[in-house]
Amino acid sequence: MPELSFREAVRDALSRAMRQDDDVFIMGEDIAEMGGSMGVTLGMLEEFGPERVRNTPISEMALAGAAIGAAMQGMRPVAEIMYEDFLTLATEQIVNQAAKHRYMSGGQVTVPVTFRTQGGAGWSPGAQHAQQLEAWFVHIPGLKVVFPSTPTDVRGLLWSSIYDDNPVVFFEHRTLYGLKEEVPEELEPIPLGQARVHRAGEDVTVIATGRLVHEALAAAEGAEQEGLSVEVVDPRTLQPLDEDALISSVKKTNRCVVAHEAVTRMGFGAEIAAIVQYGAFDWLDAPIERVGSKFTPLPFAPIMEDWVVPDAGDVLDAVRRTVGRT
Amino acid sequence: MATEVRLPRLGQGMESGTIVKWLKSEGDQVEKGEPLYELDTDKVTQEVEADASGVLLKIAVPEGEVEVGRTIGVIGEQGETVEVSAEPAAPAPEPQRAERAAPPEPAATPIRESSGNGRIKASPLARRIARERGIELSAVAGTGPEGRVVAEDVERATAPSVPQPAAPTPTPLPVSQDVEVVQLNSMRKTIARRLTEAWEAPVFQLGITVDMVRALQVRQRLVEIHGDGAKPTISDLLTKVCAAALMRNRAVNALYKGDAVELWPTANIGIAVAVPNGLVVPVIQSCERKTIAEIAAVRADLVERARGGSLRQGDLDGGTFTISNLGMFGIERFIAVLNPPQTAILAVGSTEEKPVVVDGEVVVRPRLELTLTCDHRAIDGATGARFLGDVKTFIEEPGLAL
Repeated sequence: MPELSFREAVRDALSRAMRQDDDVFIMGEDIAEMGGSMGVTLGMLEEFGPERVRNTPISEMALAGAAIGAAMQGMRPVAEIMYEDFLTLATEQIVNQAAKHRYMSGGQVTVPVTFRTQGGAGWSPGAQHAQQLEAWFVHIPGLKVVFPSTPTDVRGLLWSSIYDDNPVVFFEHRTLYGLKEEVPEELEPIPLGQARVHRAGEDVTVIATGRLVHEALAAAEGAEQEGLSVEVVDPRTLQPLDEDALISSVKKTNRCVVAHEAVTRMGFGAEIAAIVQYGAFDWLDAPIERVGSKFTPLPFAPIMEDWVVPDAGDVLDAVRRTVGRT
Repeated sequence: MATEVRLPRLGQGMESGTIVKWLKSEGDQVEKGEPLYELDTDKVTQEVEADASGVLLKIAVPEGEVEVGRTIGVIGEQGETVEVSAEPAAPAPEPQRAERAAPPEPAATPIRESSGNGRIKASPLARRIARERGIELSAVAGTGPEGRVVAEDVERATAPSVPQPAAPTPTPLPVSQDVEVVQLNSMRKTIARRLTEAWEAPVFQLGITVDMVRALQVRQRLVEIHGDGAKPTISDLLTKVCAAALMRNRAVNALYKGDAVELWPTANIGIAVAVPNGLVVPVIQSCERKTIAEIAAVRADLVERARGGSLRQGDLDGGTFTISNLGMFGIERFIAVLNPPQTAILAVGSTEEKPVVVDGEVVVRPRLELTLTCDHRAIDGATGARFLGDVKTFIEEPGLAL
């Protein structure tokens, strides 16, 4: 089995789709010669040519709109938004146009576009280049939202996103690009809306997304030293959400921690907490704990960034609280 | 000197009550006569007043069902140390309840710290397990954060050592999501228990149809005269008429007490009142001495308070006979279930225009059907028939009730 980094896994999914299907193409700021700001599309210009690997002007609104238009005409574009923070500039197109046309046309038009973007803290990017904005987009009916955490998952989920007939906002975490993993020779598509249990456990369920999946796995190791068995579940797709998997895990462990890098307040974890308390109310033995960033713009100073953003230690503390050890 | 607050016996036959919530927290100053806690009994939910002044030193039972006489709290002076005796204060023995299993020994389980407002802190899972196994949460010591009772605590707590007679199997039924499960509240449990008891009585029914022409005229006059107060209804007139008939047929104004029948000197007539979550039967005392207008005033007050949930225990005690009227729903006749230990209950239908033969002619008259249910252990057919015949006579010729 080949070993791929997260970055290479993204590139692999894009390339395989483009080899198989002429309707698939990629566009974005500096994605051609430069290979994108994170080097994800490096080398693709050589293979597919400038017609299908398109540099765009520095206007997220324009490039998102062009991608949506192409999708409505029958293409399957993958548009890269260089930083998650810049999604705010394309929001009109994504929220008001992409998410609405299939509904408003009574199903006559589909918008099979994928917006890839990356973000996340951990490298001192400051307040404007590392936000985690997934909660903005899961709130919009008509959009699918995916947030993979491993090379295998990102490859299989990106494939399914490209071939989904609905607009998908696809989040990648900057610090995961170097993460390596053996992946199957053949790309195995992963259906949208299926959670993954990374580690089975008996005492506490940690539901984590993105980078926090790995922090949660580290916390689970720590908890094991203390005699606590932690189950780590990654929803992978935030919209649609595999509610049954989350609820059945909590029904088994009776305790739940929700962890993401985005700020806790009004975050995606709040929705998970609501779903879990409703679906597993009579199984809960402790309040659901939430782990996320403190409610502040991300500080530039590394020591402050470290203090604001959650890590394995924060997840472990939350796990301990659910079993009454503080 | 500390005064123990014990669960009072608020009415005949009361064996236990459920503390809904405390209206005072530990450490609060309490004046004698001030409402101290809310108690849900078989019949009503009411506020119970403190019978001593001082500081509420201890809430021994924050919520849940408690037998009469058990210490539920302590009032004393600030700083006084208290010990709560777990034994109930020798409750008066109830012979007809002798077969009931002894309550679980409360001394075996620690009394947990109250959270202050009387609510027990427990996780949803702990509550579910306790519910399924019949464990009283108030008797479980919580070890979770801030004394919260968690599942492990309930698992540790032993279920009552004395097996509950006929305890239902705790196996959860497979319930589909569409099924709404409504737990019985204390009132519904009482209704279920008492009516099941009633079902054991060998009963028979007697039916009679009465002409309402005169009764409607009398009622009309009463409304004209007493229009400013509670408007007398046909039900009030029936209550008065039944009281008169009961006084002439004392055997029907009776309570069946196993080896004896008590014949009561006053007609204390219970009126079945539908309330949002069940049924209550407040009692109008000594109806034989009251005018119809007086009965109407008492009835209006009782019905209003029954619907508002503010009946007191005294409102429900001492009934010797019950009237259940479903006429307002258009029901023409029905059979009421006995209200033990009373020996008879009258089911009243709706007044309907009916063709009847009067002096060889078919004419239309307002008619009312009455059905009397009698406990055959105390009342024989002829006795019941004479009573019901008197009721008919008095309705048709109210003057004869004088």
